[in-house]
Amino acid sequence: MVVGERRGEVGVVRLERPERRNALTEGMLEGLSAEVGRQVSGGARAVLLCGAGPVFCAGFDMAAVLDEPARLGGLLRGLAGVVRGLRLSPVPVVIAAHGAAIAGGCALLCGGDVVVTEAGARLGYPVVRLGISPAVTGPGLGASAGWGPARERLLDPGLIGGAAAVRAGIAHECAADAAACLARAGAVAQELARKPAGALDATKALLAELDGSMDEGRARLALGVSLGLVGGDEQARLVAAAWSKA
Amino acid sequence: MSAQSVRVSEELAGLERAGAVARLTLRRPDRRNALSRELLAALHARVDELAGWCGGAGTGSGGGAAGGGGADGGVLACVVTGEGPAFCAGMDLRQAVGDAESGRQLLRSLAELTWKLRALGCVTVAAVHGAAIGGGCGLVTVCDAAVTHAQNTMGFPEVDMGVCPAVVAPWLVRRIGAGRARRVLLMGGLMRGREAYELGVVSECVETPEGVLPAAEAIASRVATGGPRALRATKGLMNELDGSGDLELLLRAAEVSARVLASPDTQARLRSKLV
Repeated sequence: MVVGERRGEVGVVRLERPERRNALTEGMLEGLSAEVGRQVSGGARAVLLCGAGPVFCAGFDMAAVLDEPARLGGLLRGLAGVVRGLRLSPVPVVIAAHGAAIAGGCALLCGGDVVVTEAGARLGYPVVRLGISPAVTGPGLGASAGWGPARERLLDPGLIGGAAAVRAGIAHECAADAAACLARAGAVAQELARKPAGALDATKALLAELDGSMDEGRARLALGVSLGLVGGDEQARLVAAAWSKA
Repeated sequence: MSAQSVRVSEELAGLERAGAVARLTLRRPDRRNALSRELLAALHARVDELAGWCGGAGTGSGGGAAGGGGADGGVLACVVTGEGPAFCAGMDLRQAVGDAESGRQLLRSLAELTWKLRALGCVTVAAVHGAAIGGGCGLVTVCDAAVTHAQNTMGFPEVDMGVCPAVVAPWLVRRIGAGRARRVLLMGGLMRGREAYELGVVSECVETPEGVLPAAEAIASRVATGGPRALRATKGLMNELDGSGDLELLLRAAEVSARVLASPDTQARLRSKLV
């Protein structure tokens, strides 16, 4: 459900579960980390992360969580690991967020060095409605978008469009539509792959250090807040209620 | 401490609740809701009351513990607004003219109020329908989200008056980042609502003053669909990550501002403008 391919100097990593809007399972999160690693060790000079089908990623696979609530813990840990891995990846990561990037799917964007979305896309963190705290994303989103926008986005369960996402610092560019989004992200990745490797890699590493997004203490604290609610009464009640409505 | 004798007037600050959404209102419309010691005392009392309705967000205490959240979950969102044409014209500096201690108490009270407002276990949404100046604009930046309209008058003109915007500075930095905050606070002056939105001082900008309160209420209602524990845990973590629990920093800032306020130069300036 995660596919990798090499396009010139760019390693393309694609979420490939379009019938479920690329909803993330633990296996997919593991596959994502593994595939990014494979592309980098195979010599890719940039990584392009995208999704197959109508949307980039609708978030965690909640059907699996409903069957077994404790699985949410594994998903949260997996997500934190993937985002960290993308930030630490020595080569730049470009993400094409077309259609929708919701909850865990929106959190993935924190791992991108350049994020391209599109005017019709819907982005955000509605998970507090399920009794889930998006706290795990706090340090990364605060570091990339700033604390003000991060606070707004994590506390307001509403979704925003592509242009608003650029203003909020969740994405860097907003293309006219999904096709333009994928094309533009691909072009950005190709452009980055052509830049002098030493300078680019050193700059990326320095930025990660400067913005504090790699601070392990903060990452642990944030993950702990999200994990602290897993399996609680409120979460069980709200997840079940949402599911019965769907 | 001269502030101890301040009587809390319920009329100066209103607090209502409808289900999980509350509304906190500054009610000193004849003075454009300028923050006098009496209004600040009333706001302290109301925010304390509100805190009892929602449980703490856990500022500075680890952030991991979810708040109280009784059977009904308590208040989850609060709209902060002002009565009359203005949201809040800022500190009532007339109370600081010729009385250094009074000025100091005003600033300390504002510092503590901002800290308390941020620590609330509900999401705060400022409905900035009218002018929000200086400390009034500071209150906007303390809220988790804020709505204004394109033509509104906002900003931090403190330096133009010889006043140091120290108490609001940490909140503005957390809201829009240190680089932008540096320019805004050092350049002083005022801006339109549209510019405040572009800078990130507010999160939403509507076209008319009448549209502001409904837009803020829409955010509050949306927030209130969230799980109480999830919301409070998330807010507590954000407070922890961005240093919102640092009361000592705010009190130090209040002292810096009080020193500048008491200086002969600033006192002369205020006297010529206000008295």
